[in-house]
Amino acid sequence: MTDAALVMSKVLILDDASEHFAQIKQFCEECRLLGIKPNVGSQGGVMAILRSNVDLGGILLYENYGGQAMGLTLAHAIHAARPELPIFLRRDTEASLTGLVGTDDGAFCAAFTMSDLESFKAVLESSIFSRVYPTDLVRGITEMTLSSLQTLFKTCTVEVEAPYLVKDQIIYGEVFSMIAIESNWCRGYMMLQTEEERMLDLLRHAAGADAEPLTFRDLNSVLGEATNLIWGSFKNRYVGFRDDMSGLTQTQVPIIINHQRRYISFGSVDPQLCLKYNLLPLDDPQAAPVPVFQRFVFNLSWSPDQFSENPSVEALVDSGELEMF
Amino acid sequence: MAQILVVDDSSTVRNEVCDFLKANGLTVTAAVDGKDGLDKLRADPAIKLVVSDVNMPNMDGLTMAEKIRGELGNTTVNIIMLTTENSPSMKERGKAAGIKGWIVKPFSGAAVIATFKKLAV
Repeated sequence: MTDAALVMSKVLILDDASEHFAQIKQFCEECRLLGIKPNVGSQGGVMAILRSNVDLGGILLYENYGGQAMGLTLAHAIHAARPELPIFLRRDTEASLTGLVGTDDGAFCAAFTMSDLESFKAVLESSIFSRVYPTDLVRGITEMTLSSLQTLFKTCTVEVEAPYLVKDQIIYGEVFSMIAIESNWCRGYMMLQTEEERMLDLLRHAAGADAEPLTFRDLNSVLGEATNLIWGSFKNRYVGFRDDMSGLTQTQVPIIINHQRRYISFGSVDPQLCLKYNLLPLDDPQAAPVPVFQRFVFNLSWSPDQFSENPSVEALVDSGELEMF
Repeated sequence: MAQILVVDDSSTVRNEVCDFLKANGLTVTAAVDGKDGLDKLRADPAIKLVVSDVNMPNMDGLTMAEKIRGELGNTTVNIIMLTTENSPSMKERGKAAGIKGWIVKPFSGAAVIATFKKLAV
């Protein structure tokens, strides 16, 4: 189970039975789900949402959404486009995938009914919330990232939104960095994703009118350094120097990046930890915040029971200070 | 003829450190990795202080420091590492290579400028 107080997940709710709306809303709140609904209930409207970046953890779909058995047709289209997203099918009478007419039940993760939501909670825990992300880790990552971004974006305030779990494998924005995370309790990758032009505008604004013209390469460098600072902090705090890495089996899996679909696969279907940071210029409070998405994908190794903070972290020299030898 | 050589693969850090040092009256040159750093140091005997990152492509900062002492036979230039790394084993390797000091990023120039000035003369 994932920490109940801290981490949530977004789900797309495709259910037009208005009599159940309040119950579904309450259920989502109890289960740390942020439910979003499409404005347009057509297949086109739903697919438009899926094409946008909403970092979904899953989809709750009513089998008769849009008309008799229309939900099943829609499920096929969704599953074909985004097979990584678990679809939970709400049925009228039986919480089972048996007896679905004219469809393949392989598109669905599970079925549920409104009369037995307690059982459905357990299903959610074992799917969307199947990964344990220790509270201290999530808090630590947030602190370290805020500090790193603040160091690089001195003319901005940096805010972070509530952490959440995603099954989505869609790349946000136009530019992202990726660095390998290696320790004796976790192995995988961290990504930072952002929008090129908006971030460049922020950097140009900070540099001032007299500065050299900034290009995408400058943005690459800033994003790279942010990644470097965060990984350095992570390493000093959670990996440190006590780990014996020699016994690790250095397995690797191919990472697939589909530019056409803005899709990245690490070969794992486990929910990823995602945090969204917003950069706001100090001298322009009305400006739209520039988002930076941070994702952790521990696809190669994950043993949170061995997670601990470096006990000597307090004794370390503060960053920025010179330690003379 | 520069006093300080700044070695970092990140242009963001290079520019930040170089701009800060120049603003404080020091003459600075920059290199993009350990190999480039060795070349710049070889070409400019006036350099008195090297401020270098550790993790860089082509040649890392610790290897560069070892080559400065070994290959170049330069035992007088002061070397300080500016890095996110903080492991004792790396610091020990640095000490063995005759590194003078270690700074964990992010760079806070105001805290170290007096020492830099001393080491750069």
